[in-house]
Amino acid sequence: MTIADRNELRQPAYGNARGLSWLIAELRDHLWPWAGKGQPARKSIQLAGFALAIAATIAWVLAALGRLEAGAIIGWWFGWSVFEIFVRLDAKPYVKEGPWWGHLYRRATVMDMICYVSFKNLLIGAVLFIGLRTLGIVQV
Amino acid sequence: MRFDLLSRLRSRGTALLAATLAGLAMTGGALADTYEVKLPPELSSSPKMCDYAPCKDVMPGATSFSERKGQPPFVEAYKDEAGQKKLLGYVMLSTDITDTPAYSGKPVVTLIGMDTTGRFTGVKILKHSEPILLLGIPESALIKFNNQYLGQFVGDNIEIGKSRSEENLIGLDAITGATVTVIAQNQVMMTSGSAVAKQVGILKPVIRPQAKFTATTAAPSWAQLVEDGSVQRLVVKAEEVGLKSDGRPYMDLWFGYLNQPTIGQAILGKDGYAGLMARLKEGEHAIFIIKTAGMDSFKGSGFVRGGIYDRVQVRQDSDSFTFRDLDYVNLWGVSAAGSPAFDESAIFIIRGKSFSGAYPWKLVFLGNKIDKETSTKTFANFDKEYWLDARYLEGGRPVVIKPDPTWLKVWKERAFEIGGFVVFLLVIAAAYASRDTLVRRSSRHNKWPVNVFKYTGWVVSIGFVGFYAMAQPSITQILTWFHSLLFQWKWELFLSDPLIFVFWIFIIVSTFLWGRGLFCGWLCPFGSLSELLYKIGGAIGLKRFQFNLPQALHDKLKWVKYAVFFGLLAVSFFSMGLAEKLAEVEPFKTTFLVGITNRSWPYSLFAAGLLGLAIFTERPFCKYLCPLGAALAMPTTFRWFGLRRKDECTSCKACAKGCGSLAIDTKGNIDQRECMLCLDCMVFYYDDHACPPLAHERKRRDKAGQPLTPINGKGYFIPIHPVPADTKKGAAA
Repeated sequence: MTIADRNELRQPAYGNARGLSWLIAELRDHLWPWAGKGQPARKSIQLAGFALAIAATIAWVLAALGRLEAGAIIGWWFGWSVFEIFVRLDAKPYVKEGPWWGHLYRRATVMDMICYVSFKNLLIGAVLFIGLRTLGIVQV
Repeated sequence: MRFDLLSRLRSRGTALLAATLAGLAMTGGALADTYEVKLPPELSSSPKMCDYAPCKDVMPGATSFSERKGQPPFVEAYKDEAGQKKLLGYVMLSTDITDTPAYSGKPVVTLIGMDTTGRFTGVKILKHSEPILLLGIPESALIKFNNQYLGQFVGDNIEIGKSRSEENLIGLDAITGATVTVIAQNQVMMTSGSAVAKQVGILKPVIRPQAKFTATTAAPSWAQLVEDGSVQRLVVKAEEVGLKSDGRPYMDLWFGYLNQPTIGQAILGKDGYAGLMARLKEGEHAIFIIKTAGMDSFKGSGFVRGGIYDRVQVRQDSDSFTFRDLDYVNLWGVSAAGSPAFDESAIFIIRGKSFSGAYPWKLVFLGNKIDKETSTKTFANFDKEYWLDARYLEGGRPVVIKPDPTWLKVWKERAFEIGGFVVFLLVIAAAYASRDTLVRRSSRHNKWPVNVFKYTGWVVSIGFVGFYAMAQPSITQILTWFHSLLFQWKWELFLSDPLIFVFWIFIIVSTFLWGRGLFCGWLCPFGSLSELLYKIGGAIGLKRFQFNLPQALHDKLKWVKYAVFFGLLAVSFFSMGLAEKLAEVEPFKTTFLVGITNRSWPYSLFAAGLLGLAIFTERPFCKYLCPLGAALAMPTTFRWFGLRRKDECTSCKACAKGCGSLAIDTKGNIDQRECMLCLDCMVFYYDDHACPPLAHERKRRDKAGQPLTPINGKGYFIPIHPVPADTKKGAAA
C-alpha cells in the first residue's frame, strides 16, 4: 500500500458488503455521485447537482433524438463532469486504493477526484457517444 | 556561494525558457506552406483543372492543357510545335482518383505529371494535413521524397524500402519519422498513375482466364441469392458523405453478376436472361444494380446522353470498368421470389476484356464527402466485394493471393525489430515485477541489482527506441486516439507504426498495473536521456551544482504539466493542427526524430536547454512540463499495485529526502502520479542499515543478543515469540 498514514483510509457505506451485493453497490457508487444513506452532504450542492444531472440527461436524450450536435453533447458531458467532481468531493470523497477488485479506499484529494471522474466519464461518454454514432443518430 | 549559483541558474533557466517559447511562437508556421492550406473548390470540380492548379510545374514544357476527361479524370498536356499541339503527357489530381488517407487521416492532395511513355515528370504537393511535416520534418523532405519518382515508369514495382533487383522491385528512401506518410504517398502515386496509364493505353490490361459456369436447374429465391453471396448489398450512410441523417441511408444498393445462368435466370427470368445473353458479345459481362432506398440516384442526376455514369464503376484488382450510355440496359423487374421493392435499377455491361467473373471484383460507388467546416467536397468512394460462390464455377473458385495490407507489410518487414522490442519490454516488466527480490538484494550503497535493469532500459530506450526506431511516444498520439475514439477509429492508422503500437499496449497495461513510473522512469527515451545526463553530471563532479526545487515550489509547479495537457486537449477540439503545433512543448521530435542540429534554433535551443537543465536537476521536463506524463499520471491514480510503506513512514523522512521525484509527501504517502518507480525507497524499506525503524530494531536485537530474523513483506524483522516454558518442558519430555 502506497499510503503510510492510515488516517487517509476511508470506508464507504457499503464497505462491508461482499460478493454480488458489493459489486452492485460499487456500480451504483460509480453511476450515482450523490450521498447515500448515512453519508453527509450539503443540500445546496446536492440540489444543484440534481438539476445539472437532469440537464445533462436531457442533453443525451436530445442527442439520441438527433437534435443535438456532437460538439454540444461533448460540451454538456464535460460541464457535468466538472460539476460531478464537486458533488463527489462533497458527498463521496473517496477513491479506490490498489486493485479494483479490492475493498480498500482512501480519502480523495481534488486531483484524485478529477482523475477519477474524468476517467470514468470518458469511458461512459465514449460508450454512449459511440453507441449513438453507430446508430447514425449523432454525426461527426 | 552554492545558493547564489543555484538562484542564478534558476533565473537563467526561466529566462531561457521564456526566450525559447517566444522564439517557437514566432517561427511556428515557417515550414507550413501547404499545411491545411485552403484550396479553391473549383480545383476538384471545374473542367479546367489547370486554371486552378500549377500544372506546368509537373509537366515541364507544356503550354496548354485540356479539360478534365476520363474516369477517373485527368487532363492532357500539350506543347505547341510549329503551330501544332503535341501531346506531352497527362496531369492528374490525386484526390480525383484515390482518397488514400495519410497519417492525419486526410489525403495528401498531390498534382502528378506523367509523360506519354508513362514516366513521372513532376510531383507537387498542393495540400497536406500531416502534423509531422508541419513542425517536425521540413516539407522539403517530402519534396525530396517525391522527386525520387521523377523518371520512374508507372508500371514498375515501386515500394518504400531497399531495392531488390531479383524481385524487380525499385525501392524508395523513406522519410525517417514519417513512414506512414510516405507509404500512403507511394500508394497515391502508383494508384493515380496506373489509373490514368490504363485509360490512355500505356499500361495493358491484365488478361484473366474467363469463368466456366456450372449449369443447374435450380431457381434460387432472393434470400438464397443473398445468403450464398450471389447478390450483395452496398450501403452508404448519410453521415459518410457529410449529410445529416433523416433515418434513410444515402444509398442502399443491391447488385449481382448476371452471366452465371442460375443467377441470371433467377434475377431476369429465363426469357430475360436469354435475351440479355444474346445481346452480349464474347468477353462481355452484365451486372444488375437496384436501389431499394436512398437520398440520391446512383445513375447521377446530371447524366447526359453520351456521357459516363460517374457514380458507379466496377473494379477488379487495379483495373477499373466504367459505364457509358451504350453500356446501359433497362431492368424492369427482378424475378427472384422475395426480392425487395426498388425505385431505381439498371443493367450495366462490362466491355473490358480483362474482366473475369471467376475472380473477385468490387462495385464502387463514387461519392463526394462534404466538409462541414469548409463546405468543400472531397472525393470518397465506397465499395463492396463480389465473388461468385464456388458452386457456380466449374472447378470452384480459382486461387487468388490477395496482397497484404500496408500495415501488415510493415509488420512483416520489421518483424525482427518488433520481436526484439517485445522481448525487451517483457524483460523490463519481469524485472519490475520481481522488484521485491531485486530491492532485497540491494542496499543503500549498492543498488545494482535494480539499476542493472533500469540502466539497461535507459540505454536501449535512448539508443534503439529513441534514436534508431524513433518510437518515442508523444501526447499527439493520445490526442489522436482521443479523437479517433470519439469520431472515427481506424486500426490501420495505429497499426502502421508497429513499435509505437506495441509500446502503447505496454504503456497502457503497465500504467494500470504499476502506474506511469515504469514507462516514464525506466523506458521513456527522453526521460531516460534526462536522468542519464543527471547521473553522468553527478559522476563527473557536478554533484555540488545539482539541486532539487524546494518541495513547496515543486508541489505548485507539478500542476503545470496538467494544465499543458488539458490545454492541448481543449485546443485539439477546435483545431487539431494548432494542438499539434503547441505539442512542440515536447522536445521529442527535435531530440530524436529530426535531431537537435537539424532544426531551427528556437526548437534546438528549447530541447538543448531542457537537457542542459537536466544535468543539474533531475528530470525538469518530466516533473513540470510533460503533457504525456500528465496524461499517464491520471490513470495512475488507479494503478493496482503500489509501493510499500510502513506506519513509521509518517514521521520518518529518511527515504523522502532521497526521493529524486519529490513524490513523498509530508505524511509519508507516495504521490503515485509523480513517482518514477526508481525503487530507491523500496531499497531503504528492506535495508536494516538504512531504514531507521529497521536499523533501530537491528541494534536493539544486537544488544539483547537476539537473532536477526528475516525481514517480512511488511518491512519488519519477523517477530521472535518466546516459546512458553511448559511447552518447552513437554517437548523435552
